[in-house]
Amino acid sequence: MLALLTFLPLVGALAVALLPRRAESLARLLALLCTALVAVLGLWVFVRFDGARAGFQEELQRAWFTLSGRSAAIPVQLHLGVDGISVLLVALTVVLMPLVVLSAYGHVRVRVKEFLVWLLVMETGMLGVFVALDVVLFYFFWEVSLVPLYFLVGIWGGERRLYATVKFFLYTVAGSLVMLVGVIALIYGLGSASVPELLQRSVSLEPAAQAWIFGAFALAFAIKVPILPFHTWLADAHTEAPTSGSVLLAGVLLKMGTYGLLRFGIQLFPGVALDAAPVFLALGALGIVYGALLALAQRDLKRLIACSSVSHLGFVVLGLFALTGPALRGALLQMVNHGISTGLLFLLVGMVYERTHTRDLERYGGIAAVMPVFALFFVFTVLSSAGLPGLNGFVGEYLILAGTFETAPLWAAVGVSGVVLGAVYLLMATRRVLFGPLVHAENRALADLGAREIGLLLPLVALALWIGIQPGVLLAKCAPTLERVLERVEESRFTARLDSALPVSTLPSEASR
Amino acid sequence: MSSAQALTAFEGLATSEARLALAPLLALGLGVVLTLLCDVVDALRAARTPVFLSALAAAAAAEARLLVAPRAPGAVLDGTFRADPATAAWGLLFVLSVLLAWLASRGTRRESRAFEPEHDALLLSAAAGMMVMTGALDLVVFFVGLELLSLPLYALCAFRRSRAESVEAGLKYFLLGSFASALFLYGSALLYAATGSVSLVELARLDLGSPLALAGLALLAASLFFKVAVFPFHLWVPDVYQGSPTPVTGLMATGTKAAAFGFLVVQLTPLLPASGRTLVAVLALATMLAGNLGALGQGDLKRMLAYSSVAHAGTLLLLVAAGMGAPDEHGALPAAFYYLAGYLVSAMGAFAVLARLESEGRSTRLEALRGLAHDRPALAALLGLFVLSLGGIPATAGFLGKWFVFAVLVRADLVAVAVIGALLSTLALAYYLRVIVVLAMEPAPEDGVPAPERTWSLGLATGLCAALVLVLGLLPAPFLAWLRP
Repeated sequence: MLALLTFLPLVGALAVALLPRRAESLARLLALLCTALVAVLGLWVFVRFDGARAGFQEELQRAWFTLSGRSAAIPVQLHLGVDGISVLLVALTVVLMPLVVLSAYGHVRVRVKEFLVWLLVMETGMLGVFVALDVVLFYFFWEVSLVPLYFLVGIWGGERRLYATVKFFLYTVAGSLVMLVGVIALIYGLGSASVPELLQRSVSLEPAAQAWIFGAFALAFAIKVPILPFHTWLADAHTEAPTSGSVLLAGVLLKMGTYGLLRFGIQLFPGVALDAAPVFLALGALGIVYGALLALAQRDLKRLIACSSVSHLGFVVLGLFALTGPALRGALLQMVNHGISTGLLFLLVGMVYERTHTRDLERYGGIAAVMPVFALFFVFTVLSSAGLPGLNGFVGEYLILAGTFETAPLWAAVGVSGVVLGAVYLLMATRRVLFGPLVHAENRALADLGAREIGLLLPLVALALWIGIQPGVLLAKCAPTLERVLERVEESRFTARLDSALPVSTLPSEASR
Repeated sequence: MSSAQALTAFEGLATSEARLALAPLLALGLGVVLTLLCDVVDALRAARTPVFLSALAAAAAAEARLLVAPRAPGAVLDGTFRADPATAAWGLLFVLSVLLAWLASRGTRRESRAFEPEHDALLLSAAAGMMVMTGALDLVVFFVGLELLSLPLYALCAFRRSRAESVEAGLKYFLLGSFASALFLYGSALLYAATGSVSLVELARLDLGSPLALAGLALLAASLFFKVAVFPFHLWVPDVYQGSPTPVTGLMATGTKAAAFGFLVVQLTPLLPASGRTLVAVLALATMLAGNLGALGQGDLKRMLAYSSVAHAGTLLLLVAAGMGAPDEHGALPAAFYYLAGYLVSAMGAFAVLARLESEGRSTRLEALRGLAHDRPALAALLGLFVLSLGGIPATAGFLGKWFVFAVLVRADLVAVAVIGALLSTLALAYYLRVIVVLAMEPAPEDGVPAPERTWSLGLATGLCAALVLVLGLLPAPFLAWLRP
């Protein structure tokens, strides 16, 4: 099932690639059907997923190749499965993809076939990252998913696309190559490549090795998220990417980073995560404020949203490393929420850009008068992104802040200021785009959203509302898994206390070196 | 070797084990003679290509037989030459590289049709030389293999006589190559003086700590470093690689490197003192840095690939550092093989694409490739695939090769080296990505493009490389099974 889900887009990509170049509408239709089918499969997996169980479900194991280890051979498997964490992200990915393909009708007019091929390859890469239960396979998908985005931005992007795409690629690859060394050390250190087995054994690794492997992983994920000092690639990539690329980048790709932090950072090395939590809390909270301040200063609408992503993902990082139940649930929920809200924002900006061909805030103003339907959607999305109660963003941010308050009240307070700033820049942007006098004559003749565009937005709007009102459905799917993660954290907190109380107990671990 | 020993060596030829071990070399040698003969005798002229191909096929079959033989012959000819599944796997690699170079050269040779038989014979001889090199258990035998490979290459580099660069490349390679050969001989002589032996098996048992022996080892290493272009012995590479006919460049980059590293990793590394590990690791990283920095500034794809081959040699040298002074417990040997196999098919593929572009009268400068994806999508896709593989992106052969190299480093507790190596590989991606940017993301020039000319051999070469890049990248299991002892 998961194998079908993961590789069906790849099959679709091959099919599209084999179509003649002129059959553009057929290619679009085929890609749309393929992603729609994947969406059905993915949602079926989501519905079928038993939220009451914490372990991996829908597992599939096939031998791939073996590595010769220190004592015994280490099998590398085509090992797939979902748990409460990944099932949400899989659902998010499969829902976004058909919309992305549909949105490409509006803005992709050259080399359509190639565009669709790369989109479909990317879907395989992203789904693969979330469902892979073998570190080698995970790494494989992790890097493979870079290539399509590199092309999507580099060929169909804006004016400075080459700079943006190469910067994006090199930044990410630098992180992932360091992670590669970490992956290898992990595999040979523990004699297994299977994630469930690694989860069982990881705490037995010496603390020093745990720490640096965690570091190698965390660097790659921090660049991907991006966490504060590594955020500069994001603004460029987001700004220059075509709408579909931005939606995918914000919606799914950044989640690969936070997913990695949760799975291979916190879940795999709870002890190190506990030690490193203050750093990540600080970076997360600073990211919230700094991203918001950056967003305030932008004149470019797309760049503004990109900076808001930095701020929103700061919340996710804060929630992850607060290491409390509500904060973790909030962080996971906020990953999904950010995908929906920011996806919507990028779609909307793309739609208005297709009409005005400018992203400069100064060139807008008073659009609401000529595009009332657009204005309605825009305001709704901004409110969802700013965390208006009743919509999706509120639930996630509230859970994160409430959960963080238990362990790190200071950083929670800093985070709260980010909520305020978020409302400020989002509402300011709304005012400058939608309201006020219609100063620019060329904006008078703008056509309002068409049926395709409304159809594109409605599913996400419905999701935003649904999550806002009924977050329990999603939270119930992930709660037991996250509880298990927290238990691991608590266990290592306990042993750490024990170690510090009884220094003697560190002796055996030193003797084993 | 005394005359009595030589006599026993020749008697040794009669055993079935020796025949099995030497069959690939005999096939290639026979091929050289027959290919040349076909040119002399008018009636046989049409048979030249079939003869060439059957010589390669026979050599490959003989190696394959060794690979699956229930009992490997091991050391034959009085313990001077080794034949077992490991050397057989390397032998197959050499046959593949020569075959690819031949296929690529068929599409490009225009001016020198008159010398085609010599060209083919030289290729066969080079293949035999590579096989002798990796199988050598004796420094003198290795030297024979080295010269059997190098002399044909000197001639092949200068094969496009009407082009000054080609002749210059041949001359440069000849001068520097002979210098390297001399270093090797000098090193062997010093080792012999210190220990009284040139047999690697005996040397491995002896204590090589004396200054004389160490100097000998250092000279041997330097000569091999010259051949595989390790920093600071890499400066000849760009000029020679750029000037030589492209298929020959491919052969030098892949075949020569494979043969020299085969010997270095299989035979010489266990002899090197573990105390020199840091030095070699630093040299390796410096080589990666020098290659990558050099490649970054290049505007010509052929020259860029030349520097990239230097960087790849650096990566391979990391394996030597990991394996020094001990029997191969970290799997450096299979890793080197896999990495080289991946590099061979990727680089050879890239050079074949370049050969094809050249045969169409295009320049290999980057700006001449602008927008290739528009008018030649298939060719651009192939080149893109090869470049991504050279950069080590997953789903290609290059990725798993890199994976195995880093795995060896981590297992040998050279984690810091691995991390620096990983960051240096990022640097390499900067110029590989530039190729893809030029190919796919920049608009095509307005002026007309010469009509593509179909050449089946180049198509076959690139197709074969692409298939192998993907197979090695996605389905490594059967190859890994071969490589396990």
